[in-house]
Amino acid sequence: MSFTSRCSRVGRSLLGAVNTSTFGILRASHDAVAGSNFSNVLFQQQRTFIQMRTNLKVADNSGAKKVMCIQVLKGRKKGAVLGDMIVASVKEAFPRGKVKKGEVVYGIVVRAAMKHGRCDGSEIMFDENAVVLVNKQGEPIGTRISGPVPYELRRKHVKILSLADSIV
Amino acid sequence: MRLEKCWFCSSTIYPGHGIQFVRNDSKIFRFCRSKCHKNYKMKRNPRKVKWTKAYRRLHGKDMTQDATFEFERKRNRPERYDRNVTENTLKAIKTITKVRADRSDAHHKKRMSGKKSIALKESLKELDQSIHLIRAPGAVELDPSKIAPKKIKVTIQQTQETAPMEE
Repeated sequence: MSFTSRCSRVGRSLLGAVNTSTFGILRASHDAVAGSNFSNVLFQQQRTFIQMRTNLKVADNSGAKKVMCIQVLKGRKKGAVLGDMIVASVKEAFPRGKVKKGEVVYGIVVRAAMKHGRCDGSEIMFDENAVVLVNKQGEPIGTRISGPVPYELRRKHVKILSLADSIV
Repeated sequence: MRLEKCWFCSSTIYPGHGIQFVRNDSKIFRFCRSKCHKNYKMKRNPRKVKWTKAYRRLHGKDMTQDATFEFERKRNRPERYDRNVTENTLKAIKTITKVRADRSDAHHKKRMSGKKSIALKESLKELDQSIHLIRAPGAVELDPSKIAPKKIKVTIQQTQETAPMEE
């Protein structure tokens, strides 16, 4: 652009040769600190299908707080995606709920952090992995569902869709 | 079918393109391409990133207020199909886009109107202030051959010759 910047660039490269040897190590460590924003790293971790030992939140008022997937019933080879049914064990539960800690329950995946391809070619992803507890026939145990729910459930789980407050 | 706008760069997202991220409070963030999604993940503010529409609007680079933008608005009431209306709409789209392009061109022209003189002034100033970077201050005085010879104005006196006219 301007010749001042051109001249300064030459100066910088000359200085850079001196600098790299002395301050190179220092600068590298500084960059590492700046890059490892904790929340950022969490957000960008490798996402996978819902598979055995995946911990999921429970998005209804059945009484369970957290469950762990122990089996994928209807899903792909690698694991469950949005709308698939899993078997889970209750890891945390509210007292006096319908479901108790340690029970084996069925659930429908309603939110998944891994991106899921839609029929039109676009993709959707959520904040967290969440499940709605159902009985063997696929009817929800709870009476309320919190958070957004994808329209992928519309074929088999219309009941869940009708309970949800927002469909995306 | 709805054409959405990208959350980051405000470009149009055609069906089957991009990715949407749904936050737990059901707010949907739509991104037209992975570039925008990555920038969002890096927690960048679209108002501070220069290539986005938000930045350009904020800094007066683009035309913001115009009647032609009213046509491209999100409407939640579905229109009943009417053949004549549709035909007229399709005709109108062409003229509207042309009008908008003309107006934005005029806006750009207006914005750039004083640019040439400013740039000239700045470069002259730079030349004046930092000539020493390319030529050492004493160099010109030492070597007289480097100095361009001064132009000497030569005045030519026109002598009017009074030649006798031929007959």
